[in-house]
Amino acid sequence: MIRDVEKFLFHEAALLDQRRWPEWLALFAEDGMYWVPLTHGQTDPIDHASLFYEDALLREVRARRLEEKRAWSQQPVTQAARIVGNIRLLPEQDGDIVVAATLHLLEWRRRDQHMLGGHTTHRLRRDGADFRIVLKRVDLINCEDVQDTLETFL
Amino acid sequence: MSPQDSSFARGPSRLVQADRVHKSVYADPVIFDLEMQRIFGRAWIYVGHESQVPNAGDYAQALLGREKVFMIRGPEGAVSVLFNRCAHKGSALVAFPSGNAGKFLRCPFHGWSYRCDGTLHSVPVREGYAGTRFDPDDPAFSIRRAPRQASYRGFVFASLAEDGDDLETFLGGIKTSLDNFCDRSPLGEVEVSGGVFRVWQTSNWKIFFENLNDTSHPMVTHESSVNAARAEYKSLPAGTKLPFRLHIIEGNGEPYEFWDKLEMVGYDRGHSYMGAIFQPPTDPVSLAHIATLTAAYGEQRTQEILQVQRHNSIIYPSCSPHTSFQQLRVIRPVAVDRTLVEIYTFRLKGAPPEVFQRAISYANVVNSPSSNVMPDDIEVYARCQQGLSGDGGDWVSLHRDAGRDRAVPGGFVANGLSELPMRNQFRAWAQYMAREA
Repeated sequence: MIRDVEKFLFHEAALLDQRRWPEWLALFAEDGMYWVPLTHGQTDPIDHASLFYEDALLREVRARRLEEKRAWSQQPVTQAARIVGNIRLLPEQDGDIVVAATLHLLEWRRRDQHMLGGHTTHRLRRDGADFRIVLKRVDLINCEDVQDTLETFL
Repeated sequence: MSPQDSSFARGPSRLVQADRVHKSVYADPVIFDLEMQRIFGRAWIYVGHESQVPNAGDYAQALLGREKVFMIRGPEGAVSVLFNRCAHKGSALVAFPSGNAGKFLRCPFHGWSYRCDGTLHSVPVREGYAGTRFDPDDPAFSIRRAPRQASYRGFVFASLAEDGDDLETFLGGIKTSLDNFCDRSPLGEVEVSGGVFRVWQTSNWKIFFENLNDTSHPMVTHESSVNAARAEYKSLPAGTKLPFRLHIIEGNGEPYEFWDKLEMVGYDRGHSYMGAIFQPPTDPVSLAHIATLTAAYGEQRTQEILQVQRHNSIIYPSCSPHTSFQQLRVIRPVAVDRTLVEIYTFRLKGAPPEVFQRAISYANVVNSPSSNVMPDDIEVYARCQQGLSGDGGDWVSLHRDAGRDRAVPGGFVANGLSELPMRNQFRAWAQYMAREA
């Protein structure tokens, strides 16, 4: 099963690298959430701000905006190369598969190439032979630092 | 004209005209250094809110111009604004953006310790200083305090200048924005909560500050996010009420006529606000909020509070409160082409929890580094910084509705599309910059 989960995460990373947003959005369960906490070890996304806390509605707005011709800050678009590694299974929660991994995201945007990175936690729900993302959580190691803008999905 | 030539020596206010300013004010590092001295070295600068340091020993760091300071709560309740610098050999005393120093501030290097008001408490092996010029009563051996500090309804400001107007005189008419910010709490009190966003801008601080009351940019700069929000709404089942999170994004797409009907108010010393039209809300969160205000203040006072509807307010030169969703943006210039902006969310004490959760939602959608709205602002600021750093023109236009600003006590008013706020900021800028040390 670890192989299936690895394939899934590598496929997700490829979709994001290639800016194939609709296919990436389709990986989520209807109630799935995408969460990038603002603080280390953050437990509360409702009474505490987050770098990203996005349901399907907000994910779709982001995906739409990224492809708008007049998204000035995407002239040129962000280029990215992700490595997802150290993939390991954690104990299941309520029948969902829980996967931990490490993310290194190399981005080039406008004049700067820079690295973002951290630890990811995916909660996956089985959907026949596929998986659906119930929660994608990205704990950036520099979440508490001053940030440049974060436009694409990490 | 360049700032190094003799015309600049006659006063940087020559760079400011009634309807245009010289590009060097945004791009010349010499002028930036002078701003740090003459504006950020004199004005009242926002440090933080008292609620960030509720308990004895709590501290929160801030920048006063280029000076790294922190505010700290003492055991008797007083808040002091201190330089982050040990009197011994200069080490920074506090390391985290905020935290608790314990009963005394203790330097990590040799262990000198200080009370929370900055006065020296103890020095190890004190005998070694006997017969020397070390004098524990000399302020040189205590932590330097900000020359002036004051608090208005919990908002702590400090000044690097020994003299000047007191804080309330400095605030003038923009005090009403801080009042309305707090009066929307049934207890009349607010507290910082839910974390802080910190974002880089690769542009001059004034470009951002001017944009806060710029009504002719939203429908152009933010076209991509407005389109995305509107397309998303159209994809929802027919008859769905416009969700709050889409409403706050697509509001930037209002037409020019909408913005022009608003009132632009500019006060002396560079402050200003953009008035908004009061529309009695019908959503459950607002109604629950209003019910708590009515219970606390009665119908009439509640209506008075709600009628004060403002988009961004500007407290020049350091912060911008947004009363509708309890946001406060703090501007920290770092270099002529680099600015740090911090965004805080506040809880209205005594209001229903959903009001704060809505403020957090607003912060996530609009003010986060991941906002779909903000990156277009930051991009156009950076493009301005690029253009202003070259030789493609000498002046920046502030002509919109110039000459039509109407004088009122303490300032000016204008129609919503007017560039009054920019002209008003430069009016203050020129006054600060003309005064030499």
